[in-house]
Amino acid sequence: MTLANGTWVRARAGDPAHHTRLPRYARGHVGQILHCEGRWPLPDDRARGVVPPRVEAVYAVRFRAFDLWGEGAHTVTLALWESYLEERR
Amino acid sequence: MSRVHDVGGQSGFGPVPLDDDGLPFHADWQARVYALSGALRSRGHFNTDEFRDAIESLPVQQYLSQSYYERWLAAMENLLTAKGLI
Amino acid sequence: MSEHHQDVPIAVRVRQLEERVTGAGLVTDADLDGVLSRLYADASPVNGARMVARAWADPAYRQRLLADGNAAAAEFGFGGADGLSYRLAVVANEPGLHNLIVCTLCSCYPVSLLGPSPSWYKSLAYRSRAVREPATVLSEFGLTLPEGTQIAVWDASAESRYMVLPLRPAGTGHLSEVGLAALVTRNGLIGTASV
Repeated sequence: MTLANGTWVRARAGDPAHHTRLPRYARGHVGQILHCEGRWPLPDDRARGVVPPRVEAVYAVRFRAFDLWGEGAHTVTLALWESYLEERR
Repeated sequence: MSRVHDVGGQSGFGPVPLDDDGLPFHADWQARVYALSGALRSRGHFNTDEFRDAIESLPVQQYLSQSYYERWLAAMENLLTAKGLI
Repeated sequence: MSEHHQDVPIAVRVRQLEERVTGAGLVTDADLDGVLSRLYADASPVNGARMVARAWADPAYRQRLLADGNAAAAEFGFGGADGLSYRLAVVANEPGLHNLIVCTLCSCYPVSLLGPSPSWYKSLAYRSRAVREPATVLSEFGLTLPEGTQIAVWDASAESRYMVLPLRPAGTGHLSEVGLAALVTRNGLIGTASV
């Protein structure tokens, strides 16, 4: 999966039983891809000693504060590994 | 599972403490902890995500009550012990 | 083991851990000294300030800085022969747009360009609130943005470390790059100050 800039994506809602870098506040919410930041080892695998770790594209994804919190006019941008994301259906 | 470190958007932590004096450390032991974590990582004994995992896995009360480098110390003790390195 | 340790002064615990780690041959005393000497020698907000000043003075450098932060840092030799140990992303303030950096999950931060992070950056209060109520957080720093300014918060959740490129203050046209760099503060590079 390679996601084009501008694609709307949803951060996965699940709650993994291990270390992850998808903050709770973004889970289940919809944001827009700004750009790809290259391919990087997946922290979930590195933290658990999975060798070799999966290597995935990381995307800068911009969320609207209103979508995250129900209030606010700012945006919040996170960098998220591709397995943290699904294309908005 | 949701862990205590994941605080984005959580309320109740009060105002931002602005009493920063620009110094990186406020006791020699903090510098030693920083040095230990950096050297152990660069020697490959654990990686950044294993270290983060160990910090996040501290008991909630401990995570919230301890200072930044106290958490690092406890996490290193736990991680190195779990790996059988010390 | 943490029960036991709560009774031991923390400096003693650190010393004990250091002895066990070096005794087991995991690291050497020289490794430990090296980590600290690199921090003290190389990590400073002066580095980030010099990059900002050049970007203000040289539009071509500004373009390179925003397109590839690592290459732009390497032009100054920051990070040594290997370059920075992280992906540097520089986000530019514009009229009507203000950027703010946080790491909600831990305290990720471009130490080599901004210097050791301030204790407030590592505080639970800053980590929790910057993504939720950035304007209120900025007001606690004494920064009130012009009406209608959009705030873009960047949560350093992956491999990028962010640095803000502040707006060049008015009335600085006469200043050299050195003079411009002296205007830039660490908080300006994080986004909790305007410059």
